[in-house]
Parts: sequence; C-alpha cells; structure tokens
Amino acid sequence: MDEKRETLIRLAAERLLFDLSEEECRILSKEAAELEDSMEEAAKIEGLDDYEPMFFPFECESAALREDEPVAPLSLEEALSNAGETVEGMIRVPKVVER
Amino acid sequence: MNYLDLSIKEIHAALVERKVTPLDLAKEAIRRAKDSGDNCFEIILEEQALAFASSLIEPEQDNLLWGIPYVAKDNLSTKGIPTTASSEVLSGYVPLFNATVIARLKEKKAVLIGKTTLDELAMGGMGMSGHLGKTFNPYDPTHERIIGGSSCGSATAVASGIVPFALGSDTGDSTRKPAAYGGILGVKPTWGRISRYGLIPFAPSLDAIGYFTRYSIDAAILLDALAGKDAQDASSSDAPFGHYADSCLTPLAAPRILLLDDIIEAVRDETIRQKLKEAEEALKKQGAILTHARFGEDLLAAIRPTYIILSGAEVCSLDANLDGIKFGLHGKGQTYESAMKDARTRGISSLTKRRFVLGSYSLLGEKRDALYLRALKLRRKLVTRTLELLSGQDAILTPSALTIAPKFDAAHADLSEKDKAADNHLTLANFAGLPSITLPLGYSNGMPFGVDFMGHAFEEEKLFAIAHSFEKIVGICGEYAGFRKEKHGI
Amino acid sequence: MEFKAAIGLEIHVALKTKSKMFSAAPNYFSHEPNTHVTVYDMAHPGTMPTVNAEAVRHGIRLAHALHMDIDPLLRFDRKCYFYPDSPKGFQITQQFHPLGRGGFIEIECEDGSKKTIGLKRLHLEEDACKMFHRVEDTLLDYNRAGVPLVEIVSLPELSSGREAARFVEAIRHLVVYALASDGKMEDGSLRCDVNVSIAPRESDALGTKVEIKNLNSLRNIERAIDQEILRQSELLRQGMPIEGQTRRYDEASGSTKLMRSKAEAADYRYVPEANIVPIRLSEAFIAKAIEECPELYERKRERYLKLGISAKDADVILYDVAMAQYFDKVLACGAPTKAATVLFNVEVQASLHKMGKSIVEFPLEPKRLAELASLQEQGYPHQAVVQAFHYLLEHPKSTLEEAQLALSLTPPTQDEEGVLELVRQTLDENPRSIADYKAGKDRAMGFLVGKAIQAAKGRYGPSDIAKAMKEELGKK
Repeated sequence: MDEKRETLIRLAAERLLFDLSEEECRILSKEAAELEDSMEEAAKIEGLDDYEPMFFPFECESAALREDEPVAPLSLEEALSNAGETVEGMIRVPKVVER
Repeated sequence: MNYLDLSIKEIHAALVERKVTPLDLAKEAIRRAKDSGDNCFEIILEEQALAFASSLIEPEQDNLLWGIPYVAKDNLSTKGIPTTASSEVLSGYVPLFNATVIARLKEKKAVLIGKTTLDELAMGGMGMSGHLGKTFNPYDPTHERIIGGSSCGSATAVASGIVPFALGSDTGDSTRKPAAYGGILGVKPTWGRISRYGLIPFAPSLDAIGYFTRYSIDAAILLDALAGKDAQDASSSDAPFGHYADSCLTPLAAPRILLLDDIIEAVRDETIRQKLKEAEEALKKQGAILTHARFGEDLLAAIRPTYIILSGAEVCSLDANLDGIKFGLHGKGQTYESAMKDARTRGISSLTKRRFVLGSYSLLGEKRDALYLRALKLRRKLVTRTLELLSGQDAILTPSALTIAPKFDAAHADLSEKDKAADNHLTLANFAGLPSITLPLGYSNGMPFGVDFMGHAFEEEKLFAIAHSFEKIVGICGEYAGFRKEKHGI
Repeated sequence: MEFKAAIGLEIHVALKTKSKMFSAAPNYFSHEPNTHVTVYDMAHPGTMPTVNAEAVRHGIRLAHALHMDIDPLLRFDRKCYFYPDSPKGFQITQQFHPLGRGGFIEIECEDGSKKTIGLKRLHLEEDACKMFHRVEDTLLDYNRAGVPLVEIVSLPELSSGREAARFVEAIRHLVVYALASDGKMEDGSLRCDVNVSIAPRESDALGTKVEIKNLNSLRNIERAIDQEILRQSELLRQGMPIEGQTRRYDEASGSTKLMRSKAEAADYRYVPEANIVPIRLSEAFIAKAIEECPELYERKRERYLKLGISAKDADVILYDVAMAQYFDKVLACGAPTKAATVLFNVEVQASLHKMGKSIVEFPLEPKRLAELASLQEQGYPHQAVVQAFHYLLEHPKSTLEEAQLALSLTPPTQDEEGVLELVRQTLDENPRSIADYKAGKDRAMGFLVGKAIQAAKGRYGPSDIAKAMKEELGKK
C-alpha cells in the first residue's frame, strides 16, 4: 500500500515537474496518508454525498464580457525583459521534439 | 509621539494643516523600517518613496490617503520593482504592470515604502518559508515567536509601527491570524470586493486581497479606496459598495452576534478566555443580542484537509506558469523538461513543493473522487453550515486564534500535524467568500491576541460598525510593539 | 473480411477578432515575433483572463448554424500540461460546459446525395504559442498565444477519407461565410485532428480509436484516413490487435506514423477556471449575435441558383467569400444577373488573374461593374461592354459615360436599314459561304455572322446582326 502511495506521490510530483528527494517522498507519503485518513473521517459526515461539489465561494454570475477592442501590446523589449536567453526576438529553450 | 502613530484620519488632518509633510512621514517610516530587526522586508524603496513623497506638496483635503506611507506584501505586482512572492523561483522578476490595488493607492498618492516578506508564494501560515527565512513577531524580542503567515512581513510592519497600514492577501486566514498574533486589525473583505488583478495567486476561488491597520476607521478608509469592479479582474464584483469610513461611525442599534462555543471552549489560555467573557458582557451592555451555537466538531475537523486539497489543486495549475522560461529563475537542462524541472525544483522550497504535490496527488485519477471531489462537497457542506448559522445574525464572533503566537519550534511547519481542528475556523470565510475582520482583544504574557467578526457577503459596512464599537470596549486600538498606551499613560 | 470505418473529426478554427480570446492584445498576424503580446499572453503572475465578447458571438453563430443547443451560461476550465508552447502551463477551454452541444451538418456525398453528420460539441478556447525548431534549439513566439479558437467535434459518423474531406470543406464554408475565420488550412487558421476506428462490417461494436494529428490539407485528410483504414484492416486481417495510438501523417511516404501510444497519453487534470465566474449570456445577446450572422454559404448558393446562375458559375463566385461579397454588391446595385455573372466570372476573374490581385484589391467599384452589366442588357454588343470594362480598369476614376465617349461607343441601333445594308454587303463579299450554307454546312452561318460583327465595329448589336443574317440567308 505504502509503496503504491509512493509511486503515486512520485507521479503527482512528476506532473508538476518537480524532482523529489527520498526524504521528501517519505514525508509526503505520510502526509498523503494522513490527508486520506482525514478525508475518510470527513466522509462519515452525514449526507455529505448529497451535496453538490462547490467551486466558487457563492453562486455568482456576471455579464462581464470584454468588447473586442485591442490595446497597445508590449514592446518587444518589454516582452523579452524578464526572459532568459533570447534570439531574433524570441525566447530560446532547449530543442523541443514535437509530440 | 510621532504623527506616524496616529490613525490615518488624524495623520490626514495634520497633513492638511501642514504640521507634517508626506516627506517627513516617509522618512520616519523608512527609518523605522531600517531599524526593524524582524526581517519583514523584501525590499525597502527608499529612493522611490522619498522622491514620490517630495513631489507631494499641495495636500488634498478630500483624499484621506494622500501622503500616507504604506507597505505591500511582495506577492502584489509592482511595475518596475522586483516582485518575488518570497520565492527563488521568481528571483529577478520585474513586473511590467501594477496590481490594481497598487495602482489605486498610487492614484490616491499613498507612498509605498517597501515590499514585505511572506510565506513562499503565500503558501504557509508560519511566516518562515519565504526565501529570506523567518519573519519575527515584534512583541517577542527573543525572536522565538511567529507573527504568522502568510502575510508575515506586512503584519510585522504594522505591528511594529513602521506604517499605519499594509496590504496583504488572505487564502486561508493569512491576514487575520497574523493580525491576531500582532495585536492589529486584519481585514479579509468579501470575495470579489477588491480586484485581485496583479496578486500572484495561490487559490483564486479562496484568495482575497486583505490588509492590516491599527484602527477600525482606517480599515474602513482602506476599503473605500480599494473596493469596486475592475475590468481586468472578471471575478471582481459590481455589487454596490458603501461609504465605509462614514458609516462605520454609526453603531448598529442592536447587533445580533452569534458566538461559536466549540471554538471558544477550545481556548486553554485563561487570559484569553477571561477577555472573551468580558467582551461578551460589554457587547451585551451595548445592546448586542448574543446567541450561542456550536459549529459541529466533525465539520471543524474537516476544514484543514478540505483546505489543503482545494488550495493545492488550484495552485497546481495556477503556478504552472513558474517554469523559468518567461521570467524568474531560468533553469538549465538538455531538454525543455529538464530545464523547467530545474527551475521549479531549485526555485521552490521543499515545504512549498509538498503543498503542491498534495494538490496534484488529490487530482490523480485514482484519488480524485476520494480527495478532490469529496473536498468540493465538503466545501459546500461547510459553507451551508456557516450560512445557516449566520442567517438572522449580523456577525459570528470567534477568537481569531486559540493561543498567543506560538514559538517557531513548537508549531511544527509539518503540514500534516493534526492541528487543533478549532484553530482553522477562519478559513470558513474563504470557503464562503465572506468578509471577516480580526481586531486586537488583549495581551497574555505580553503577547497580543485577537477576536474575529465574520459577516454576510458584501456587508462590510456592518462589520466595520461592529468593529468600531468593539474597539472602544477593548481600548487598546492603535497600539503596536513598543507603543503600549498604558506605558505611555494614555 | 469486410470492414467499416467510423471516423470522427476535431476541427480547430482560429477566429478573426481584433483582440485575443482572454487578453486585449491585438489578434492580427505579424511577421515580427513577440510584438502582439500583453503580460497575460506571457502568463506573467497575477494577470487574469477576460472573455472577448466577439469571440463569444462567433461561437454562438457557428453553434446556431450547426443546429446546436447553446448553453447561455458560459463557463471555462483549465486543461493542464507543461509544454513550452503553453505559457500558463494550462489552456483555458470549456471541457465540462461547451458553448454548443449536439447539432449536425449536411454534407454532399460523391453520388450527389446528402448525408447528415451528427456533432458532439463546440467550445471556445485559446491557442498556444508558436515554436520554431532549429537544429540545436527551439525559439518561442507568443504572438499566437491566446488567439481565440473554436473547436468543433463531430460524432464518429463519417465512413471514408472522401467524406471526411467533404465534412471539413462544409465546416470551412461555414466559418468563412460566417466571417468568423479565414479558414485557411495552409495558414493553420483551420486545423484538423481525426479519429479512425474500424470494425467488421456486420459488427455493431466500434473498434479501437486511433488519432491522427495535425492534418494540414483536405488532400492529406483524405489520404491519411484512407491509409489508416488500410493499415488497420491489414492488422485485423492478420489477427493483430489495434492499439490506441496517436499518429501523424507523413506526406513523403503517404502513410501514418506512430507518435505515441495511449498509455503515454497526458492526464490533463481538468479543474474549473476560478478567475472567470460563470457569465450569463442574455437572450438578447444570443439573439442579436445570431441575427447579425452574415448569409452563410449554403443559403447564398441556393439564392444564386434561384437567380438562374448555373451551379458551375455559382461555385466560381463562391470559391472565395470576398468574391461573393463583391458579387453581391454588384447585384445590390441593380445589375442584371446574367450579364453580371458573365462579366464577373469571365472578365473580372481573368483580369484578377492577369494582375495577380485578389478581389479586395480590384480597382473597379461594384457599382461600375453593375453599370457595365446593365449596358449589355440595354443591347450594347458584348464586345463593346468588354472594351468599356478594360477602359475603366485602366481609368478607374472615370465614369461610364466618359468611357463610352472615349471609345465612341454608340447606343445600340434602331437602324434596321443599316444592319440590313451591312448584312447584304457581307453576303456579297462571301458567295462561297452562301453556297456552303445552302449545301447544309451550318458552320457557314456562324462564319458570316462573325464577319458582319467584325465589320460593324460595335455599331450594331450582335443579336441584331444574327437575326438579319438569318433572314437574308433564308431568302437566298
């Protein structure tokens, strides 16, 4: 079970592009186990499954669409000001093999 | 006695009468900032602040924030000023735009004198996970106690009298807890009341811009300046907003206040218990109608895991932009994946990383139902219960924290330590998007503690009126570490 | 064993708006990289999405035209994946609540019969940034990041490469005539992924789905699908299982190649987009968007046919939406249909071809063309009209009267005597042709009429000449 959890923890970290140390993985497995226990406990709350999942803090709707008017874009210099290496006005990254 | 120690309203009067200038105030604030040994600053903006303050010559009578110095949590974007959210992953990042709150205060000609520390990316409650290390509670010269996070630097800046107000943010209780531990006011308005544009997000469905002040009137003044629809934040509300600074002066005739007994009973500190009791009596005397109820211990216990899962799930996707390509720490590697991984792994501390991973774990196909989906259901259950209790009431009163500020080593940063369930109740306001204000209530062993009022969505007006009356009962408003009224014979 | 194929398509259409989907950055193509971006498009921390109203209107129009149910509550989700072309690390899309659901589109089969293809959904989303791969590295241009996209997903109801190509063509006509998109596969403003599965003809179950990505022309769609059907049939015949895969079409070899197997498929960890609260589209907003939809391809074609334009001519006009728009303006100026069609499809097209210009650059106003068409109706010889057309093309500022004056074009004659005189003269000069005509060679008549028209130099209308010639020849 714990081995399986560690595998999942590693997968969860991989999905975030994080390297995990053995130590981190161990602590996380423990934390995840506790989290799952707490949620199992919470699952006993009466009628919980009848509740609809809630994502926004309250039922809110807006009519806020933006009219299609362009604004002045960033200058090339601004756009690249925070980037690492740039070439020909573009940001350079290691070779990407399309997938 | 310095003008900086007064309320914003009083400082404003002095500015208008030209007894003091914005430059005097900025200089004094910067002096105090430099003197502070509590590690609350990412950056002190001496040059910019003094230049801006010097440009403020003609006082603006109708503008209460004219020339008032303040600080902002470093997760608020400031154009041309490095903004790191106290994370190495954003080192070197200089925003090209101002957060809406920063822009609004700039229009009001308030003077930004520095950016403050936070728990890395606002993900923490101890004020110790930022890249500059621990931020200390100014009431504890031995530096053993936390001020609390994530808005630790802003709380300490106000609690040590550097500035009359400071901007923060609040995802779980990140302004209110530190406010309680620092003996100041902490405000988390209704979700959508203040634009979040430019706030480096943690969990948008829970995030709110919050702020610290030392007087309730100042808290009202700030919301007057910051509330309102912003076209750049589609979630900002166009619900009408009041004239908080005016209306808070009029006490509610017979405010209906609900006390949550399961939280109050969890307090072990006799002084806090005593002060709560006194407050209850005083409120009654003022004509408040008090009711007692219990939230439900099983529900209280569900707050923390629900919060960890929901905030973690949101931050996973939101902070996926932190890949070292466009800004911040640039990673190295032979492939794009390894370069991104390098930036993220080196840039984000172990503690914060774990919060992310738990969020990602909850979204895995195998776990999604038992963790993420269940947490979403719990959110509705907890919100339903909160609204049920709030129904027919003007506010819910709780102690903001069960204790005075804990020591760094006593309060493990270990996430899964089973916190006392009752110490997480302030997060209910984030789940439900409700406004919530923490006020100073007293001192125990020289360390401050606070009380919290949570109200109905978009009814900040009532909360400020309650706070304004309550602050008079308590009688310690305006104090900060090193400035206690009884010591000064006030 | 005989197999049947079930093919489903996912079509991405880049919308022609002034600004991007979730940011107000300009949405125009630019050759200068990173000049059409805002802080949002580069995913700077703290930036937030705002929804482009025009993109929503386009979405509504397309969903309506595709007979879909439109969800008046607009909601968005995040599709999470790390990739250098994804600035935020997620794409904002509508996974759980698409703007349009259900619906169908009709396509014409090879035998001319109609087939109705069911649709699954239509949703709004944003494009990724563009990657330029070099030998050693990759360069990123964020101009395309955030361009509004509509994705249309069909049910697996197509059965051949040809049908799939027809389907894409129908969608292309729709989006182009709705003025929602350029719909150019070659520019990537219309992109297509297909799912192919096959099963024994008598079986009710569907086979394993194989996805083919990034098909960039109708021809490639057709070929890739047909090749894929062959590949899968071959596997099944050999008793091998079909593996769930993503493949790509290799133009050089004319076959599909493996990109990744389904086991490696990404888990997108969809979560709701918290920075956009649900947006309620009012009934009036939806109704107005639909009402303001330009005339669509099929409707326009039907109208042309009803006006007596041949199917062939209609298709020439409809080949390009700008062409049809120009032609409609000519008609709107009161031009007689037949003459206008001939002028447009022969003279205008030939001139454009010669000039190497597109119709939007054509120097003549539609009104002029309408006047020219009317001239023909008035009985002016076609040749004269063509002369006037070319004169006006060279002098676009001139009026028709000025052209007529310059070319000494006289109104068609009522002078029957004159015509008769000309015809008789022509007959006198060509006794051999008269003999041929009498000997039953019909071609002689044409020859004689041609000679007479030539000699008339535009003074008399060809129809008048032909009529007189017939009469006079009959007397011989």
